[in-house]
Amino acid sequence: MNSVTLREYLLPEGDTRIIIVIGKGGVGKTTLSAAIATAISSHGYKTHIISLDPAHNLGDVLEEELSSTPKEISNNLYASELDLEDLVKKYLRNLDDSLKSMYRYLTVLNLEKYFDILASSPGIEEYATLDALMEIVKARSSWDVIVLDTPPTGLTLRVLGLPKISLIWTEKLMGLRRAILERREAIRRIRGDEESSQEEYKIPVKEEEDPVMQELKKYYEDINYLYNFLTDLQKTTVVCVMNPDRLSFFETKRAKDSLLRFGLSLRLIIINKVLREGCITDELKGVLALQKEVLNKVKEEFQGLDIITIHHANDEPRGLNALKDLGIQILESD
Amino acid sequence: MNFLKRTLKNVLYFFKGFVHGFRENAISYIEMEERELENIFSLLLMASFIGIPSPPTTLVIRLLPYMVKEIIIMQSKSRRLDDPLGEVAGMFEIG
Repeated sequence: MNSVTLREYLLPEGDTRIIIVIGKGGVGKTTLSAAIATAISSHGYKTHIISLDPAHNLGDVLEEELSSTPKEISNNLYASELDLEDLVKKYLRNLDDSLKSMYRYLTVLNLEKYFDILASSPGIEEYATLDALMEIVKARSSWDVIVLDTPPTGLTLRVLGLPKISLIWTEKLMGLRRAILERREAIRRIRGDEESSQEEYKIPVKEEEDPVMQELKKYYEDINYLYNFLTDLQKTTVVCVMNPDRLSFFETKRAKDSLLRFGLSLRLIIINKVLREGCITDELKGVLALQKEVLNKVKEEFQGLDIITIHHANDEPRGLNALKDLGIQILESD
Repeated sequence: MNFLKRTLKNVLYFFKGFVHGFRENAISYIEMEERELENIFSLLLMASFIGIPSPPTTLVIRLLPYMVKEIIIMQSKSRRLDDPLGEVAGMFEIG
C-alpha cells in the first residue's frame, strides 16, 4: 500500500466501527455507502454493509440479490438488506409465546385484542429499526466495520433519537413501578403473608421477583448500551451525504442540530454530484451559480467538520470496481 | 375453670377483631393508592388507546405478558368510571 493517509474515523479503533450514512432522499446515500464499504474492505477490513431502508436498492448498486443474511460480495465485503416487516412479525411471535404461558391461569382476559392494535400502532417500524440496530451492535464482533445505509433523513433521525427518548420513558416507568412495589410491600408487612399464599398467582412484591421491573431494567440496560455505543466517537461515525442545492443544505443543517440533541455528532459531509466548471451551456450556468453559493455556505456553516466533494459522474457508478474508485476518494484524505 | 378459659378466649378474639378491623382500614387507603398507581401504569402503557403518546412499543410488548393484574384493574376501573365520586365517597365512608 502506498503512503496515503486514510481517514481514521472511518476505520476501526479497537472496537468495531459503525458508519451511519444519512442524507436526504435521492442524494446518493446508497451508492456512496456501498463505495465507502468497498474501499474499506479493499484495505483488508472485514466490512458488512447493511441497508435499513425499506425501499431497498443496495442490491441494485452492488449488482447482487441480497437478503437479510449477510452475503459475501467480494473478499472481506459482505452485504445484507433488512426486512422491517419480518422484524415486526418476529416481535409479535415472541409476544404470542409469552402470552400463551400466561394463559395457563388466565383464561378470561382477552389480551389479543390489545395486542392486535399494538402491532399496527404508530411508530412500530421505527422501534423495529431500533431493535435491529441493537442486534447489529450486539453482534458486531464478527466485523471490523459495519456501514449502515439508512432511509431518508426524517425517518433515520427519528430512529436515532429513540434511545434517548426511550431512556426517559423507561426511567419514569421504573419510578412508577417502584412506587407500586413499595405500596405492595407496605400492605404485605401490615397484613402478613398468610392471605396471599392461597392464591394461585402470587403477586410480586420485591423488585427482584417482579418480572415487570426486571423487564424494565433489562430494557433500560439494552438501550443505555446502544446509546453509549452510538454516542462514542471512537465507535460510531455519522456521515451525511448532500447535493449542492439549497434544500439539501438546509436539511443537512437541521440534521446536524437534531443529531446534537440526541447526543450524536456529525463527522463528515460528502457533497455529491458537484458539477465541474468548464464546458457549460447557458442552462447549466444557473445551476453552477447555485452550486457555488451552496458550497460556500456549507464551508461557512459546517466549520470544523470534514467536507468532501464528489464530482458529477457521466455514468452511474455500479459494480465493485467503480464503487471502489469512488470509495477511495472518500477514504483517503489528501 | 373451663368457662373462664372460654370467656378469655372470646375476649381475645374480640380484641383481635378490633385490631384486624383497624388494620384493614389502614390498609384500604394504601390499597386504593396501589390500585390507582397500577391503573396509571397500565394506562400509560396503553396510552395510544386514549390518544396520548405511548412509551416505546417494544417495551410495551415486552411488559404486556406480565401485566395481567394491572390490566384487570384498569378494565374494572374504566367500567366504573361513570361514578368516580362514588368510589371516593365509599373510600371515606360517606353516605
